[in-house]
Amino acid sequence: MDIQLSAEQRAFRESCGKLAADLAARWHLGRGPHDVASAVPDEAAWSRVAEAGWLALRLREENGGAGASVVDVTVLVEQLGYHAVAAPVLGTVIAAEQLQTWQAPPGLLQEIAEGAVRVAPALDRDLTGFAGTAAEALAWDAAGAEMAVIPTSGAVHGLGGPLPFTDLTREVRPLDGRPVDPSSLTLTAPGDDAAARLDAFALSLLTADLLGTMQSALDAALDHARTRVQFGAPIGSFQAVQQLLADSHVLVEATRSASYYAAWAADALDGRAASRAARTAKAFASRSAVEVCENAVQVFGGIGMTWEAPAHVRLRRAHADRRVLGDEHHHQGVIADTEFSGPADAGRAEADLSRS
Amino acid sequence: MDFSDAPAVADFRAGLRAWLRDHLDEHRDASGYESAESVERTLRWHRALAGAGYVGVSLPAAYGGRGLPDIYEAVVNEELAAAAAPPPPPIGHIAHAIADFADEDLKARVLPGLVGCEEVWCQGFSEPGAGSDLAGISTTATPDGDRFVVNGQKIWTSGAMWSRRCLLLARTETDLPRHRGLSMLVVDMETPGVDRREIVLASGSREFAEVFFDDVAVPAADLIGERGQGWRIAMHMLAYERGPADMGWVGRLGRVLAGARDDVRSGRVTADAPLRHRLAAAAVDVQVMQWHVTRSLANRAADSTGSGGSVDKLLATRVEQNLYRVTADLAGPSFTVGPSGPFADYLWSRAQSIYGGTQQIQRQIVAQRVLGLPRG
Repeated sequence: MDIQLSAEQRAFRESCGKLAADLAARWHLGRGPHDVASAVPDEAAWSRVAEAGWLALRLREENGGAGASVVDVTVLVEQLGYHAVAAPVLGTVIAAEQLQTWQAPPGLLQEIAEGAVRVAPALDRDLTGFAGTAAEALAWDAAGAEMAVIPTSGAVHGLGGPLPFTDLTREVRPLDGRPVDPSSLTLTAPGDDAAARLDAFALSLLTADLLGTMQSALDAALDHARTRVQFGAPIGSFQAVQQLLADSHVLVEATRSASYYAAWAADALDGRAASRAARTAKAFASRSAVEVCENAVQVFGGIGMTWEAPAHVRLRRAHADRRVLGDEHHHQGVIADTEFSGPADAGRAEADLSRS
Repeated sequence: MDFSDAPAVADFRAGLRAWLRDHLDEHRDASGYESAESVERTLRWHRALAGAGYVGVSLPAAYGGRGLPDIYEAVVNEELAAAAAPPPPPIGHIAHAIADFADEDLKARVLPGLVGCEEVWCQGFSEPGAGSDLAGISTTATPDGDRFVVNGQKIWTSGAMWSRRCLLLARTETDLPRHRGLSMLVVDMETPGVDRREIVLASGSREFAEVFFDDVAVPAADLIGERGQGWRIAMHMLAYERGPADMGWVGRLGRVLAGARDDVRSGRVTADAPLRHRLAAAAVDVQVMQWHVTRSLANRAADSTGSGGSVDKLLATRVEQNLYRVTADLAGPSFTVGPSGPFADYLWSRAQSIYGGTQQIQRQIVAQRVLGLPRG
């Protein structure tokens, strides 16, 4: 048992944090809802992402990747969340893992790893799962993406313009009705274990993005509480404010424990156990991140309600991440049906298992 | 990152599982303090667990422990939880205080009895005039040759009615600032001048008592550490007491949840969809708490502030109080009409945010010592 990041992982976290901070620095340009900077990374920024190896991190070596562990990937993703990075790294990594799981051609995966082909995951209209058909599907974290794939048919779809979306750092775009001709892919459906592992992978990454988001919300609120003076003292010296921040810290640390476990389990346990762990972690992170980001808005007071202060950017990202691949109600519903159903509820559990 | 067991831990876990398979059934209901009989059942369970070597496993072998890393304590808690067993005896914090501060003679005299659960111990900290403000205690232990003479009153002393020894925080130096004038003593509860009076809780539990000391003589050899070290030892203890793994917290909540799960799955209790969803939410909480406690135990040696226990206790309290709200509703009409079991359990969950340092005090500790916010 060794429940902490290794020295290499800590070094990787630092280098990821530097680049993530750089990438995020250009984002705070908008001074209002109508002139917010685009989430689409420019060529230079996207090249840096690709050169850092972020897109190739999880792909296996034969697919042009580095074969990193899920824990390694979540080290990166936490930094993306911490700095509210707009470049669609997370969407690309999840889409690539989905394609790898469906045994997409190595050539395509290699191009994705190099940043040459930009792909986003296709999700259901309500964002709770991977889309089974193109109709009403949405490509998530799709800024600058050229395509999304519906794996059941192998159809490659182009993408429409961005829809209004809570999360200002990410784009959601509808799929074009007709697949791009003639580029349908030949894919192979994964077995149950591999499919569950893909779910565990994606949920673990969302959990890590939520973790980074809430940690940065807490850190920013702490900075503000130490410096903002009222009644002749820093507001962070008042018990009411301290208690709010202490509660936030507890939620961040518990989410970190859940994130570590889920990421470790995604590689170490069988698909069923891994997806149960990831589902549990995602449910906890979803509700906790929103609470922590709301607490941060509260500590900032009126400033937290302005467009210029980044508190709302984190709250928005937390809310969107919470919905993507299922919020706490969705996952707790699945747990209720699989673990807390009585004889009178029979049948529902199986139906829900196949749904999830 | 590796949450899995090293081979030695896996062997230990398998051994405990096998022991529980053979011995748990006769101790299933050993978790209460409502009557003399339930206390007796609980103590029998503690002694059985200790006899098999599963109490105080992280203490040195010379004093009745097994000298194992802290993480083994987590394994004991996880396995007891998984088997829906009653919690282990809550003695880790007392045992560590003695093991870490007392001299060899005192350790050899008292630790084996404590860890073997042959002698029950209580902890004399709180006083009527000093609850959250613990450093304000006024019980005195006046040095007098080769002994101390103790006078004063303690309250909320868990298990005092059936304890043989008391770990007593008392003021030995009346001329020093209040934190520096305290010392920690081991008091034989059968010494003349010790008087106990039961406190019946709102839940009906008879676990607590008041203890009165009237010119009680305590040998100087029963001082833990040095005079004036009492506050430091008390804080060291509380860091352990607030760690849920040490207190069997994880096991207790796991047991409650498992009971609820069995009730629903078997059809003994009918739960509608909203209630089943709340149970699932509570299951998420309990699972995350378990992961968190495992992580904090694995890293406790590196917790430089010693305040990790406060984070853990805040989390565990939140999880527990929510869980008992849900099981209260699961009990349905019998929560209010009928035997008082479910209501008493719920009521007891409200104590979690009070004892061992209130929820408010824990948050102050986290805010000031972990997050570094200024004192008001």
